[in-house]
Amino acid sequence: MSKIGLTTTVPVEVIYAAGDTPVDLNNSFITSSEAMRRVEEAELAGYPRNVCGWIKGLYSTALRNPEIQRIVAVTQGDCSNTHALMETWQVEGIKIIPFAFPYDRDPDMLRLQINKFMEAMGTDWEGVNRQKKRLDQVRALAWEIDRLTWEENRVSGFENHLYQVSCSDFNGDPEGFAGEMQNFIQTACKREPLSDQVRSGLRGKGREIRLGFIGVPPIFPELYDFLEQHGARVVFNEVQRQFSMPFETNDVVEQYRLYTYPYQVFQRIEDIATEIERRRLDGIIHYTQSFCYRQIEDLIIRKKLDCPILTLEGENPTGLDARSKMRLESFLSMIGS
Amino acid sequence: MSGQQTICGIDLGSRSVKIALMQQRIAGEGLEILRLESLDTIRFYREYGRKHGEKLAVNFEALGLPVVDHLVSTGYGRNTLELAGGDAIPELKAHVMGAVYQTGLKDFTLVDLGGQDSKIIQVRKGKMIDFMTNDKCAASSGRYLENMASILDLTLEELGQYSDAPVELSSTCAVFGESELIGKIVEGFPLTELAAGVNATIVKRILPLLRPFAGEALVFTGGVAHNNAVGKLLEAGSGRRIVIPIEPQYNGAIGCCVEGLETRA
Repeated sequence: MSKIGLTTTVPVEVIYAAGDTPVDLNNSFITSSEAMRRVEEAELAGYPRNVCGWIKGLYSTALRNPEIQRIVAVTQGDCSNTHALMETWQVEGIKIIPFAFPYDRDPDMLRLQINKFMEAMGTDWEGVNRQKKRLDQVRALAWEIDRLTWEENRVSGFENHLYQVSCSDFNGDPEGFAGEMQNFIQTACKREPLSDQVRSGLRGKGREIRLGFIGVPPIFPELYDFLEQHGARVVFNEVQRQFSMPFETNDVVEQYRLYTYPYQVFQRIEDIATEIERRRLDGIIHYTQSFCYRQIEDLIIRKKLDCPILTLEGENPTGLDARSKMRLESFLSMIGS
Repeated sequence: MSGQQTICGIDLGSRSVKIALMQQRIAGEGLEILRLESLDTIRFYREYGRKHGEKLAVNFEALGLPVVDHLVSTGYGRNTLELAGGDAIPELKAHVMGAVYQTGLKDFTLVDLGGQDSKIIQVRKGKMIDFMTNDKCAASSGRYLENMASILDLTLEELGQYSDAPVELSSTCAVFGESELIGKIVEGFPLTELAAGVNATIVKRILPLLRPFAGEALVFTGGVAHNNAVGKLLEAGSGRRIVIPIEPQYNGAIGCCVEGLETRA
């Protein structure tokens, strides 16, 4: 049993079926109290300043965890910086297992990729399907936390983010993580609805502002608390929710086809539009990393979604800066009036 | 007392602090400007500000300001510092209120170019309905103009006279822009074309931000609005009518006073 690093969500059933433990490097990086130090280490190693902070953080995080000898790197369906990231790891002696989500969501190509992944890990479909059943039980708890967020208003935006984002690797211990979620659900169910508690710091609507957060998970999770202090709550975390695979299917290939993040932006937009309606969102925060290709997609998102949108840019894990705060406040004051 | 009210609006900008002192003589009537003042931001905090708990206490006496009925502040400091004894309002809101007050318009696109910030705000029926601001880069700001003017050995006012035959300046960075400009000086371009190039650069950065916001009138505020050439190039580039209020630089501070009056009324 060894630890397998991940650069983003991949068919994690394969890793569990092989008897190994997945470690989402993103989660290890961002929950470290020294996250900014990791970025600086990568810059000292030669990573350019104008490259995504996540990429730099992942680079150093993997090197600081020598027990991670193999990393699954997503070569298609995530950014091309990952290619160079893989290569710089390879130079340091880490074994790379490439995985590509086919851009056109072709089921045969995806099946082939999963087959190759299984081969590299040394497992088979029987084991993978068994793990899917096991993990779906854990995912169901994350879905319930999500429902409690938007339907019953008993879960904060950060809690929603945290439990769903952790579904990329189930913290390396699916049953342990499931227990944690069960306890949380019990506590949350006893709470008064947060929508009544959130102090409306704004005149105007006089009720809680319901927001959607779309794009990659934020490099400054402080954002959620800041919003709640200003009378707004995130009740939809788009990509984090996708990590929890909220789809009704028993087929692993179909599950990773329905997963929107690695494919065209249009499928994501469809999913977002449905949730805007269902969760009665007042506005959307489109988060992008500095220097990310997804900043280009912002123009499509703005064109296609009929909802007030604030585009927010984050660079490094140094907290929410004054400019972002100013922009968030103005956005809330705009949709709250 | 016949309902006379004095209101002080303070816009804590990144480069300068703007103070507007306004008065309503008779209840129900409009505000009139008593005094406008601009101070360097660093000097303002150093000489007149003092941290009082979580808030910033300002020594109004030292500033030569009278006791006012209401104090409203906005701007950069809003997130980190709230003025003691006053209310704080979001920056973009202050600018919208100032622009509506100063121009009498209700439907327009506000372009505010300040010391470090560029803001584009779409206003309909007197309310902000959408906005864009610069992020991570201050190349289209007043600070860029200041740097370039000093290289060309011109005052800001002189720099603002030139808009014809601008030289092409491509650098997207206000700092690297300096060396690019020096390169053009060496190539022998006349001063007028160099100055026009600097002004045109600002407009080139603003036009893409402006594109999503349709409408007829552009209200142009912030310190950069004092630059005539930028206004002229903006008008030509956008094909829209430019309205510059009498006090473009004090627009945010004036907006604070308007808010102060409305909340007290």
